[in-house]
Amino acid sequence: MEHYVRSVFAILVLLLLQTTFVPFLSIGGFLPDVLLIWVVYIAVTRGQLEATITGFAVGLLQDAVTSQFFGLSALTKTLAGFVAGYFFNDNLTEQTLGSYRFLLVTFLSSFVHNILYYGIFLQGIQDALLTTMVEFSIAASLYTALMGVFPMFTFVRKYRFSQSL
Amino acid sequence: MFKRIYNFVLLFKEYAVFSLLLVVSLVLMALNDNTQIRHVRGVATVAFGIAQNQLAFVPRYFSLRRENDLLRRTNVDLADEASQLREAKLENDRLRRLLGVKETSRYPLVAAKVVGKNLTLLRNTLTLNAGKLDGVMPRMPVVGDGGLVGVVSNVSDHYSVVRILYNADFRASAKNQRARVDGILAWDGDDLLLTNVAKNLDVVVGDTLVTSDYSSTYPPNIRIGTVSGVAEQQGSLFKRVLVLPGVDFVKLEEVFIVSFVPDSERMDLEQSLQQKSRR
Repeated sequence: MEHYVRSVFAILVLLLLQTTFVPFLSIGGFLPDVLLIWVVYIAVTRGQLEATITGFAVGLLQDAVTSQFFGLSALTKTLAGFVAGYFFNDNLTEQTLGSYRFLLVTFLSSFVHNILYYGIFLQGIQDALLTTMVEFSIAASLYTALMGVFPMFTFVRKYRFSQSL
Repeated sequence: MFKRIYNFVLLFKEYAVFSLLLVVSLVLMALNDNTQIRHVRGVATVAFGIAQNQLAFVPRYFSLRRENDLLRRTNVDLADEASQLREAKLENDRLRRLLGVKETSRYPLVAAKVVGKNLTLLRNTLTLNAGKLDGVMPRMPVVGDGGLVGVVSNVSDHYSVVRILYNADFRASAKNQRARVDGILAWDGDDLLLTNVAKNLDVVVGDTLVTSDYSSTYPPNIRIGTVSGVAEQQGSLFKRVLVLPGVDFVKLEEVFIVSFVPDSERMDLEQSLQQKSRR
């Protein structure tokens, strides 16, 4: 139960960060998605089911805050959580969290998330849809994966600490 | 059963939850009304149309059943309509032919429909729906599209009875149009005959017969029919000339009554001569 409370608290803090601080880190209009990094962390540590539900909840909250396209982030983050969940391995959690594998999972999940997000978001707006979609997705995913380096160390320490208890 | 479903869902709970959340997300997205959703709806409509078009060959049982019922009903309606149209066409053809009769007639004509037929007796008759009030009088000739039908024998206000060619009491003075040979048209109960045709006269099969100038009842040159057979009779001075009438009495439905009034001067003269000869 305590885990869920902490998880909710972490989500709220990250949401606050995503909407206030992260926009200052914009490069060429692209932002890292810290909420997605959290979903990937849940997927690697808790498994596919929890990551899927967390993705949905986080996405829904994000939709509610940004009120841009209600339901779109819920959809894409649900998918991202589900995809990231495939990399859950109870015996390899520490290795995954403390290595480039976490960044790879983050990039892959972020790419799936972004390709769907931009694929829908640019419908009827952008003419060269496929090219733009792929370009945006790669750029945003790379940035998110790069930002994953920082929490990667935090997560691994946090995970080691929780395991030592 | 429910337990098995529950176990199945439990086994694939990740997929079940993922599918459920996807559906919820899609429903939430569908509630938006922005450019993207309108575009997606447009694309989805086109895609659905294409898919539906491609799958149109798959029979749809219930719609087929409804369509079948509808087609059956339509078939009955169309069959009824076709029957009415056929009837109208036939009537139209008959009336056109009658119109031809009317246009060639020198006498006023009264149109009438055959409302009754009596074709099984020795004295066969037709009943027409025109009577005194329409100007019909006894002894007026009746014609159809094929020629002479008979003569009016009795008249009421709205109806009249016609003595037809196949009536033992019917007589008409007739003429062979080609050979100009005269005779008396009569029915002997079996055959329609041109009587009083001497053996040496030229009458052959196919000759057309018309009413004669000698008749006081019928105007001249009304077509009667054709000669269908010529036979020699043993011990008789006359030929047996069979006549095929131009009118098909079985199919006859519309006729004209010819308002022909015999020349009174001629009638009076002939009657007075007859009376004198009797004295």
